[in-house]
Amino acid sequence: MLRLVRQRLAMLVLVLFGVSFITFLMSHVLPGDPAAALAGPHPSKEVLQAIRDQFGLDKPLPVQYLNYLNDLIHGNLGTSIRSQEPVLTELMRYFPTTLELITFAFIFAILLGIPLGVISAVKKNSFTDYVVRLFAVGGVSIPLFWGGLVMILVFYAKLGWFPASGRLDIELTTPETVTGFYTVDTLISGDTEAFFNSVKHLVMPAVALGYVQLAFIVRQVRSSMLDALSQDYYLTGRANGLSKRFLIIRYGLRNALIPSITIIGLSFGSLLGGAVVTETIFDWPGMGKYVTESILGRDFPAIMGFTVIIALAYVIINLLVDLLVYSLDPQTRK
Amino acid sequence: MKSRLRARVSLLSVMALVASLFIAATAPANAAVSRTSLIVAMSADLDYLDPAATMDNAQWKITYPCYQRLVEYNGADTDVVPGLASSWKISDNNLVYTFTLNTGNKFSDGTEVNAKAVKYTFDRLLKIAKGPADNFGDLKEVTVLNPTTVSFTLKRTSPQFLYTLAGNYGGIVNPKVANKAVNGDMGQSYLANRTAGSGAFVLTEWKKGQFIKLRQNRHYAGKKPAFTSVIFKIVGDASSQRLQLAKGEIDIAEGIPTDQLANVGKTKGIVVVNQPSLTVDYLYINNSKGNPALSKKAVRQAINYALDYKGIIDVTQAGFATQMRGPIPVGMWGHDRNLFQYTTDYAKAKSLLSSAGVSNLSIDLLYSARKPWWASEALLIQDNLAKAGIKVNLKLTDYATSRQMIDKGDFDLSLGVWSPDYADPFMFMNFWFDSGSFGLAGNRSFYSNPAVDKLIREAANITDQKKRTELYVAAQKIVVDEAAYGYMYQKNYLLPMRSNIKGFVFNPMLEQMYNLETMYKTSKA
Repeated sequence: MLRLVRQRLAMLVLVLFGVSFITFLMSHVLPGDPAAALAGPHPSKEVLQAIRDQFGLDKPLPVQYLNYLNDLIHGNLGTSIRSQEPVLTELMRYFPTTLELITFAFIFAILLGIPLGVISAVKKNSFTDYVVRLFAVGGVSIPLFWGGLVMILVFYAKLGWFPASGRLDIELTTPETVTGFYTVDTLISGDTEAFFNSVKHLVMPAVALGYVQLAFIVRQVRSSMLDALSQDYYLTGRANGLSKRFLIIRYGLRNALIPSITIIGLSFGSLLGGAVVTETIFDWPGMGKYVTESILGRDFPAIMGFTVIIALAYVIINLLVDLLVYSLDPQTRK
Repeated sequence: MKSRLRARVSLLSVMALVASLFIAATAPANAAVSRTSLIVAMSADLDYLDPAATMDNAQWKITYPCYQRLVEYNGADTDVVPGLASSWKISDNNLVYTFTLNTGNKFSDGTEVNAKAVKYTFDRLLKIAKGPADNFGDLKEVTVLNPTTVSFTLKRTSPQFLYTLAGNYGGIVNPKVANKAVNGDMGQSYLANRTAGSGAFVLTEWKKGQFIKLRQNRHYAGKKPAFTSVIFKIVGDASSQRLQLAKGEIDIAEGIPTDQLANVGKTKGIVVVNQPSLTVDYLYINNSKGNPALSKKAVRQAINYALDYKGIIDVTQAGFATQMRGPIPVGMWGHDRNLFQYTTDYAKAKSLLSSAGVSNLSIDLLYSARKPWWASEALLIQDNLAKAGIKVNLKLTDYATSRQMIDKGDFDLSLGVWSPDYADPFMFMNFWFDSGSFGLAGNRSFYSNPAVDKLIREAANITDQKKRTELYVAAQKIVVDEAAYGYMYQKNYLLPMRSNIKGFVFNPMLEQMYNLETMYKTSKA
């Protein structure tokens, strides 16, 4: 197990190197000049040149890349061209924001998705199964930009249960940043009103995003569960008089979870880069919006910083998934 | 049968559990905004706020009420009146401006606003040499004569100089910012997300991606504003903005698309401000670096005759715009009511093309998604020009790329908007037509005519407004006849707000900005 961890961490260095190289190349061969995008409506040639000089945009690409790597090794992700703020500061602000949203989305999706998947498999081709499958199909086929707006229309405009946008009511004090999760930071600072308020803000975006994930989870759990329940060990267990419930949970679910965990882990990883649509509709100030705007403004330091952080997080998530599978599946331990 | 029923029950119980979790987290709906605070919804977050660096009206809505200037625009008028300066004298050769400062004005930390602060502001601005410095290219030096008197010496006559002082970049900055410099940036990173002025408000909190909060500056020397706090909240989605405005959760919504505003205005409790602005939407026609056919005057005229002005305005601006008559918009001095205006005339366009010996012309139209209406505008232009026999290929690209291509002249036609920084026709004539400022700098049609250069350069060098008007009118006649651009339309300024918001004054020079110090709210809409 330790070997696995060490192997992965060694790989991380290579991954970061490769990812930074490819991103650097791709973002710089794109046409578009950040100076032209940011210098105001009618910049003179001198002003454009001054901005290029400030960020070293005129230097040869290999030099720019080596400078970047050198800074990176020293833990410096550079300064954002758009906001003039250190990229690290910005990422430390947006990354936890996205992480909080997708964590809650996944908690919702997993808590609801796994039981629904199991029920659906056990009651294969029954009315219940059809209802669950229909519900799950909705998650993948209802477009988020529409579903999200309908949620806002119903739960904000008509019922007034949840706020339409943001992370916290403007009148409330923003908690001191410790984890970057408002739901955690408000508790640390002991502000229960802000805590409940931040939970309220989370519900709609997390459910909207979680519903999509839920659909995948239900379908995945259902099919691996069906697979597990048709195995010989299940029939043998039944023949030996073990209860259905015991077999489903102890053997069926456990086996069905292994492929599901891999899928869930991967989709969690893919969302770390931000759930752009959800973030836009609910004004969730996360990574998706940040990186979209950075790409449009050709904010190279921000794009690079984003990629490095995501690569890092992806490798870590994959490692965690492997460790989880490792602990669930005795065969992998050999 | 029984087991099915049980499964259904368990499914229902899971759903009920989830539903109850939702409801448990909810509380009664929010109340409307209080009378002493104003909440404005904006569509996107801002970049940086240093008055010596930012050149974007969107950022200026924060900085303008937080700083004061030597001179200020007069309400809705484009004239300037005393601000921090109580009076000024201009030397006989028009090169030295001497300002006498009012006493008692203080920055938000209590530091006094004096002549040294004025000098510091402009020295800093010129040294930083970003966009704002472009507007002070004529400024040679600032001299402190005594604590309340300061003089500006110019390199050459600059009739628009006084007006540039009323722009956002003329905001006087607290000299203590110098202590916040890092790596010789003169406090740029410090002022990127803070304010340090003597205006009625001061920025107290900026949660990136969420909101910007302003509070009253307690050292402000003027009349105490009605609002104790003003919040600019980011609501990216237009539909959300509309819902929140209808509920009274926000007071002003900046991001509702024009085509929805007619309906929004009918909603109870909402009014839509509708005023002519000085922002124009026009068509760059690449005179010298694009398709060679475009260097022919007749071809450019044909394009101007082929545009369906009314159709374009109706579709892209829901009718809230006026066709341009020459480059200088209505409301700016130098506009000529008798100037020739192109009409939609496809037959005329066709005959002009054949007289120029041009047939089967195929050109590209470059645009980006920067303005929401450009996509439909591009389609309309494609359709209009097809009727005159010109094939237009739409080239949609992202903003950063389109800007670079425009700067290099790598296009045939392109869409653009322009709004003046100060109330002087210089902003249109000298920027758009001087052959010395090709590209992003202003002359985006890469138009060159020595006769026009001569007229507009002379107009920029004298201060007699009557003579200047004559020169600009003469130049306009040429550039309209030569169809240097596609002169499309002048937009209206539209802004939906709750009907209990009073005192908002729209000044066409201060588009997107708010006179927060004099706005107020009545109790009920």
